Amino acid sequence: MSTPILRLEHVTKRFRGLVATNDVSFAVPEGSICSLIGPNGAGKSTIFNLVTGYLAPSEGHIFFGKTRIDGTPTTQLARAGIARCFQIAKPFADLSVRENVRIGALFGRDGARDIAAVTDDALALTGLSDLAGRPAGDMTVGYLRRLELARAIAARPVLLLADEPCAGLNATETEDIVTILRLVRDRGVSVLLVEHDMQAVMRVSDQIFVLDAGALIAAGPPEAIAGDPRVIAAYLGTEAVE
Amino acid sequence: MSIVLLIVAAAVPFMVMPFYVRVGQLILLSAALGLAWTLLGGFAGYWSFGHAAFIGLGAFSAGLFETELMKGQPLLGFGLGLIVGGVVCALAAAVVAWPILRLRGIYFAVAMLGVSQVLAELTNNVDVFKGSMGLVLPRIAAFGLRPEALFYDVLLIATVVVGCIAFAIKNGRIGAGLMAIREDEDTARMLGVPTERYKIMMFILSAALTGALGVIYAHSLGYITTSSVYRTEFSLNMIVYNLLGGMGTLVGPFLGSAVMVILTQVVLGRLLSIHMFITGALLVLLVLAAPKGIIGLFKGGLFGGRAKG
Amino acid sequence: MLAIQTIADGLVLGGLYALSAVGFSLIFGVMGVVNLSHGALVMIGAYLAWFVWHSLGVDPLLAIPVVMGVLAVFGYVYQRVLIQLAVDRSSHVASMLVTFGVALMLRNTLVLVFSPDLRSITPSYSGHPLVLGSIVLDPVRLAALAASLVLLGALAMILQRSKMGRVIRATAQQELAARLCGVNAHHIYGLTFAVSAAFAGAAGAILGIVLPFSPPDEGLWTLNAFVVVVLGGVGSPAGALVGGLVLGVMSTGTSQLIGAAFPNAMMFAVLVLMLLVRPSGLLGNAFAGSR
Repeated sequence: MSTPILRLEHVTKRFRGLVATNDVSFAVPEGSICSLIGPNGAGKSTIFNLVTGYLAPSEGHIFFGKTRIDGTPTTQLARAGIARCFQIAKPFADLSVRENVRIGALFGRDGARDIAAVTDDALALTGLSDLAGRPAGDMTVGYLRRLELARAIAARPVLLLADEPCAGLNATETEDIVTILRLVRDRGVSVLLVEHDMQAVMRVSDQIFVLDAGALIAAGPPEAIAGDPRVIAAYLGTEAVE
Repeated sequence: MSIVLLIVAAAVPFMVMPFYVRVGQLILLSAALGLAWTLLGGFAGYWSFGHAAFIGLGAFSAGLFETELMKGQPLLGFGLGLIVGGVVCALAAAVVAWPILRLRGIYFAVAMLGVSQVLAELTNNVDVFKGSMGLVLPRIAAFGLRPEALFYDVLLIATVVVGCIAFAIKNGRIGAGLMAIREDEDTARMLGVPTERYKIMMFILSAALTGALGVIYAHSLGYITTSSVYRTEFSLNMIVYNLLGGMGTLVGPFLGSAVMVILTQVVLGRLLSIHMFITGALLVLLVLAAPKGIIGLFKGGLFGGRAKG
Repeated sequence: MLAIQTIADGLVLGGLYALSAVGFSLIFGVMGVVNLSHGALVMIGAYLAWFVWHSLGVDPLLAIPVVMGVLAVFGYVYQRVLIQLAVDRSSHVASMLVTFGVALMLRNTLVLVFSPDLRSITPSYSGHPLVLGSIVLDPVRLAALAASLVLLGALAMILQRSKMGRVIRATAQQELAARLCGVNAHHIYGLTFAVSAAFAGAAGAILGIVLPFSPPDEGLWTLNAFVVVVLGGVGSPAGALVGGLVLGVMSTGTSQLIGAAFPNAMMFAVLVLMLLVRPSGLLGNAFAGSR
């Protein structure tokens, strides 16, 4: 089996007394969409922050391909091909949509050769071509999420971390995001997704990792996860299972 | 086309009265200073409130170098002095860059105000710098030009050079990165913009250019003291030119300095005692009435109304 | 013994720093506005006290209520007319620029009215030093320290106990909630500014008997206030007192031990260091946004 694109090995992160993630290990196979799910406070955001270099693990290691990356600065990871989009979109509000995406392209992986082409491609993929000239600050939540994705895609990442891209969106908008994620995967980009919309997660994921209270309690393909009593317990409380 | 324009601009001092040559000098100096400031302030959003520090540091380091080491060779001394002033400022900026650029917004602005206060005091109180006594710079004369004509042309060249540098930066990759830093530094870092490196580079470049301009300014004065070069008004004016013209643009400093200089020198030329008052009042008015500057008034529409947080 | 003398001198200066900074700190804490004209308000206080002393022979410390009254009115109007507009329209850096502009206008006005020369005030009780063992205490400086501490204490009481103080503190923490409770936030901001300006003026009056002064000093007093706030934390008289005393002792210590030219260099180094290492100040009040 080939090397997974992302691998966490016994990763623990403590904040003072609080254990945010406890001995978490999992691997994201290359070219797949994997989802991290779990109740609020389960440690999903911490894992994103660890993988993107905002935090360094207290124990354990993180590998990106064959390279150990725990403790590597964010900027360097972005250049190496790890892109992230935020749940709360952070556009450069005063710049146009195109300029936003162009900055993603300019500073993405391995210094792009044809910035304009990469920018246009990312805009087209996310269906933003027609809005390219608009100031990013004027867009609705649904379009801002697309812009987040477009900016990340323009960086030509190897691994895309998407933080609740569907939160607060209606069914049509969610469908659009799911489609974009699939298109991205089909181009060979691996995706790690944090999402509360279980329908979207079940449809789009190749693998699902379930976190509860900082620990990994289940992992597997959607079918397996859906019936796993531990997962149901984590989401609904133990009484529901009995 | 632009070459013709430059030649015409260079010939101006031979065609008009000395007073207007001095006004022209001041506009060019102001525009160049505004451009040097905007490399960091306008492009990256790091508003320095203390750039006069580099005018003073450049002026005094070059002045001491020229008077102590280059006696009897004024022209060569001036040329090397420009480099000395620039390099000393670059080094000073490099030393304070790492701590000071971790501060953001008002904290950076006030820290820079502190830098300039401290440098001014050291220059004034440490005897070898001759800040309180003053320093007489070697007179330079070349090509048989009158001093004001000479400095006008020197400043014209300097402005063109600084303008070209600013243009190249704004339109390059680094310009896009700086823009991202200005808009949202954390997101910029997330997107792979080397924020620390860019900020430090711009800070050093901006300081070096300001320092070299300080050297020219010092020579045009002929005699400098701490209070003639470390002037808070300089720091302020660099911001005002950009605000007035249009923050973050290349045309802004030109427009802003032309309007300001003509207003204060020509229109209000006799009211020297209230210059500071007028500058202050203008600043207040600008921030409240036209936060996007003259360019903003023209552009209006699309990006007009948005208030920045 | 020299050390004790230095500390004694530092405390006097520190009390003055604390008083001159407390208003700056209050505005910063309550409204998030950095008032770069604060030092100019201090200078106005100094010149008012000088004027009253020079023309009427009234002791500057007795003139403090008048000075505070004048500046309170000025502060209220200044806030309602200019600052609020700037805060509503633009960013915080821009509103800081407005106060910078006003500082220049005030400085220029002071130069025009009082000339750019150094002034000083000599109260009647100066020149009779109290000698305690090997420490020499100047009654003027003692009076200055006492006045500073009394005023700081009074402000702390006002903020803690009075209705106005409680409303100011509530508005600082939750503007919206305070509004919903029927507080007129703009009026409260105006009052806060009035209090701030009044205490700046009082500091100016006291400053006049301790140090010579001239209009361009305003920049330095603004910077001092900023450092005091960074050292002590934002928004409270206690923080200002701690910050002021630390700065005062540090400042006299530096000029004693290193040289008269260096207190400000030292102060600046401490400022940047504090912002980097402990942005919440020595007392640990929240001091968000420095990076």
